[in-house]
Amino acid sequence: MFRKKNTAGVNSDEIRAILDEKKAKMKLSLKACAHCSLCAESCFLFMGHNKDPKYMPSYKFLNSVGVLYKKKGNVDKQDLGEMRDLVWERCVLCTRCYCPIGIDIPDMLALARRICRSQGVYPQYDRE
Amino acid sequence: MVKAERKPVQEIFDAINGYGKVLNVGCGGCVSVCLVGGQKEVNALNAELKVHLEKAGIRKRIDGYTVERQCNESFLKELDSKAPEYDCLVSMACGAGVQHMAQRFSKIPVHPVVNTVSIGIDKDLGMYEERCRACGHCVLGYTGGICPVTRCAKGLFNGPCGGTNGDNCEISNEIPCAWLDIYKRLKNQDRLGDILKVRPHMEWQNQSPRTIIQEPYERRYLA
Ligand code: SF4
Ligand code: SF4
Ligand code: SF4
Ligand code: SF4
Repeated sequence: MFRKKNTAGVNSDEIRAILDEKKAKMKLSLKACAHCSLCAESCFLFMGHNKDPKYMPSYKFLNSVGVLYKKKGNVDKQDLGEMRDLVWERCVLCTRCYCPIGIDIPDMLALARRICRSQGVYPQYDRE
Repeated sequence: MVKAERKPVQEIFDAINGYGKVLNVGCGGCVSVCLVGGQKEVNALNAELKVHLEKAGIRKRIDGYTVERQCNESFLKELDSKAPEYDCLVSMACGAGVQHMAQRFSKIPVHPVVNTVSIGIDKDLGMYEERCRACGHCVLGYTGGICPVTRCAKGLFNGPCGGTNGDNCEISNEIPCAWLDIYKRLKNQDRLGDILKVRPHMEWQNQSPRTIIQEPYERRYLA
């Protein structure tokens, strides 16, 4: 559904600068993912959530960094908030996921977290 | 997880005194969860320090940055290009994180801004209780799941001392005696025999850093 973007408080240039720093690795990773879903079974959260595809390492990576890249950093707070739930609540960055092609998925998810953090979006452990 | 508490602001202020450019580094791991050293706390501390500096009429640059986990190299290296811009780094992580950062950026002075207190449980929002001191030889199996290292003032392994004060420890009327609790729990489980066996005392002397390699990885590192 169409939603009007509210880009207040988001610095897209800053996001693009961070994406640029890792551009080569990110582009290669996005291109290389063969959607084979072999990474899935190495993620204990995927296994622990009845193999819910939303917990697949590749899903998490394509729907965070992949989106940021496609939108060239033009996202709003709501997008980042949804991404926060994805990259923090569905991943603990245990760095144990295994990709047969060699994509460093945790590094990519850490990049998504870094971008969220740069815009002041991070988990609120004191939320009651 | 690891629990920590903030050092008094004056101590932090004294530590960074004399450095022109300071980077305050938060950790997205345990210290974020116990609300002392995550991104939010980095911002809060920096704001507090800036007020302090202004009052004292001191000009200094204080920036903040939070990495996912200071105890993991793949996240810490994110600071490689940033850290050398600063005269001093302060860390809001636990002692392990501080040391890891000090080792990686060994030319730059690193100061801790939290005191690492314990391995503990979350009692409630912002309230944590110590449960373990990582002694390296867990005895919970025969003590009914109550840690004598953490809970007993003397860290005794073979039953209570002679000072037990009613139900309490001799050091305070408010602290229950760990060994009484151990006794009660084991009695309930009909396992009192477990504490009749004499256990060797803990060899606290000659401690050196304990490095562990999980068994499936032994071939990888010890070959
Ligand atoms: S790093 Fe995240 S995605 Fe990878 S195995 Fe761990 S929890 Fe799963
Ligand atoms: S550096 Fe310390 S506080 Fe941070 S994640 Fe590691 S153990 Fe936890
Ligand atoms: S005996 Fe106590 S301090 Fe030692 S590992 Fe077990 S819980 Fe931790
Ligand atoms: S009174 Fe109990 S808790 Fe206190 S030192 Fe003696 S045995 Fe330990």
